[in-house]
Amino acid sequence: MNLITQAQLAEWLDGLARQRTLIAPHEVAGVLLYRPVESSQKIAWGFGRTVMSVKEAFFPPTERLLTIEKSDGGIKLIENLPEGEQVLFGVRPCDARGVRILDALFLDKEPVDPYYARRRANTALVGLACKEMGPTCFCTSVGGAPDEASDMDVMLYEVEGGYAVETVTEKGKALLQTINLEEQTVEKPIVNRQSPALSVAEGSIENQKSPIPNPQFISWPAHFTSEYWPRVSERCLSCRACTYVCPTCRCFIIRDEVLPYTSGEPAAGAFERIRCWDSCEGENYRRIAGGHRQRAEKSERLRNRFFCKFYYYPEQYGLGAASACTGCGRCVDICPVNVDITEVLTDLAR
Amino acid sequence: MAFEPRIIAYLCTWCSYTGADTAGIARLKSPANIRDIRVPCSGRVSPELVMRTFDQGADGVLILGCHIGECHYETGNHRAAKRLPILRALMGYAGLEPERLRLDWVSASEGERFSRIATEFVDTVRALGPVRWRVPGDEIPALTQQFAAICGDVPLGEYDCAAKTDAIRAKAKELLTSGAVGYVVGYEVGPRGRTRPSFANTPEEADKLVWNPDCTYNLTTYLGKKRRPAVKGIEQPKPVAVVVKPCDSRAINVLLTENQFPREQVYIIGVTCEGTRHDHGALQVRCQTCNDRVPIVYDTLIGEPPAPVPEHPTPVALKIAELEKETPAERMEFWLSQFDRCIRCYACRQACPMCNCPVCLYERDDSLWIGMGVNMNEKRAFHLGRAYHMAGRCIGCNECERACPMNIPISLLNMKMAQEIEAAFGHRAGMEPVPSPVVTILSGEYKEG
Repeated sequence: MNLITQAQLAEWLDGLARQRTLIAPHEVAGVLLYRPVESSQKIAWGFGRTVMSVKEAFFPPTERLLTIEKSDGGIKLIENLPEGEQVLFGVRPCDARGVRILDALFLDKEPVDPYYARRRANTALVGLACKEMGPTCFCTSVGGAPDEASDMDVMLYEVEGGYAVETVTEKGKALLQTINLEEQTVEKPIVNRQSPALSVAEGSIENQKSPIPNPQFISWPAHFTSEYWPRVSERCLSCRACTYVCPTCRCFIIRDEVLPYTSGEPAAGAFERIRCWDSCEGENYRRIAGGHRQRAEKSERLRNRFFCKFYYYPEQYGLGAASACTGCGRCVDICPVNVDITEVLTDLAR
Repeated sequence: MAFEPRIIAYLCTWCSYTGADTAGIARLKSPANIRDIRVPCSGRVSPELVMRTFDQGADGVLILGCHIGECHYETGNHRAAKRLPILRALMGYAGLEPERLRLDWVSASEGERFSRIATEFVDTVRALGPVRWRVPGDEIPALTQQFAAICGDVPLGEYDCAAKTDAIRAKAKELLTSGAVGYVVGYEVGPRGRTRPSFANTPEEADKLVWNPDCTYNLTTYLGKKRRPAVKGIEQPKPVAVVVKPCDSRAINVLLTENQFPREQVYIIGVTCEGTRHDHGALQVRCQTCNDRVPIVYDTLIGEPPAPVPEHPTPVALKIAELEKETPAERMEFWLSQFDRCIRCYACRQACPMCNCPVCLYERDDSLWIGMGVNMNEKRAFHLGRAYHMAGRCIGCNECERACPMNIPISLLNMKMAQEIEAAFGHRAGMEPVPSPVVTILSGEYKEG
């Protein structure tokens, strides 16, 4: 592999940022987020895990699908397809794997989602391997690895004096054409694939086991009526933080809304069709005509989240043995009341 | 063309609406900028309606009701008189020029008074220029103000938790063994060593309950959503025991006055408090100056009252004072910079014991208070709406801010509202079983000005 120094990397990214939108880890008020940055100076170098995943860059929290206008007695629909190329820098392997899982729904099966497809085609992923696994990371337990390059376009590994560069796809190759890399052979560094042992309270030896047990696909249906769900969900607050930070949660809801007044004049009967993230944890999750809610109890909603990750989604989209969880551990840290996916998996495997 | 403001006037049908007519009949001049909306009473003009009016682009909102003592519904205008100054303070704090919102009284015969107030108000708003409140959808405001929620760095003193843990376990066991309660809500330590809420259903499970400096969770949030007021003919579930800190006990008082559950449905295990820790180990800001260290309402008290702490302003109070000195435009930028991070996950609302509406006003899909999008106007409307709904009800447990994944300094809103309510009504939420002065009509006196 070639070596790229920190200065070369910054220069390369600055060059990319001039041509297209560069999205990179950026710290806002103590919160690490992927945000568009004008230059490499705005990047939070040495970043850990961002609070939100790269999902936002492909599947934004809110997007306008259509503008609906009245015109001459008819109705005009204007499609709002996303424009412009973007480069995502500093993508972690778990997030890139999350994008592959989103692809299964939005791209690989008909009907293809044109909004997602457009963004996916216009976005390049520049990955950065993790040097070690964080305290709540468990990617190795769900089939990933902290230095997995297969879902990236370009992969970087931190080494002495800079980064080792691995070109993964043709798209990545094209990106790297703007830079002359010295012919220098660098070894890919070896990453410790053990997640750090959990700090354990007395009496719970099971949790010291690493990796986190991942129950067999076929074992899930048996847990559906388990008494475990009402117990584990007792403290759940039914907020949506876990699903919004998740790199693979992809439920959405579509609604037509009246466009607001613009520049002092009311938009003449214009509407927009917007698509927003939805969450199975919300209390109104899938309220249907007549007010019925299929998942009225929070135990059912929490169960849905785990079943969706490990059973429904793999079953529907043919992920094989893989689950829709990438082991990033965000939901573990974001939950305000410490509902812990690794604990749930451990309990179910028991 | 010179700027002409668009003013929405909410006029009470029993007085000021007729007052406007009287002005017309008397051929008194009134500015043409005013768009009247007739309402049954000034008390009908809810703060959400006013916020929505500004969200939709009004340059000013004028609310005219009957003189105090002359309300057709006796106390409707008392409501308006109590609510709107609080709303004015909130919107001013969020960056609106407070002069754009005015409440006054005009009777049916006071045509001249209507004409004068309307002219005055339009002149004031015209002088202020076009409103900068609504954020245009296609314009991303310059968000330069980085401000993380204040964490504080005061270390927490060592104190004995073992005795309290033992006492909580013993009490829980006693209650569960005798069958006096169905379950006990307390704290436990999870497998990662993180303290979290816990539900003990059997005497054996009582052994997992603990007390330590990380017991920050306000467990009363699990009561309002589970307990419902007694309904005739429906058997009541068994009472629930809950472990409360002094601040949490204030939440119980608020929930009781709002009839969220009958008192006998909850057994309160009160624990004296030396303060709780933030994630990184320092004493939480809200605990630094807290001198309410013994629960206000309880059935059993555990622990000795700790020594009082010296009075000094908290970093939150200092930041509020700093914001108040800024110009409305600066405050607006500050708040937009904060709300920008919101992802509408509603962790703040869900963690809050006071947010107990069956369906949140801002999430009903049959109403249009705010849109569904994660956009600036919607995010701000939600946060300000919630802050207003907390006025006189928020007990300052700060769980909303702790639950926020985006470090939005929600305490700066809630504490500002608490300051306003205390200054206007001398009311501190939950110190006594008295409802918030702005959600009732019978308590709290109207003060002129």
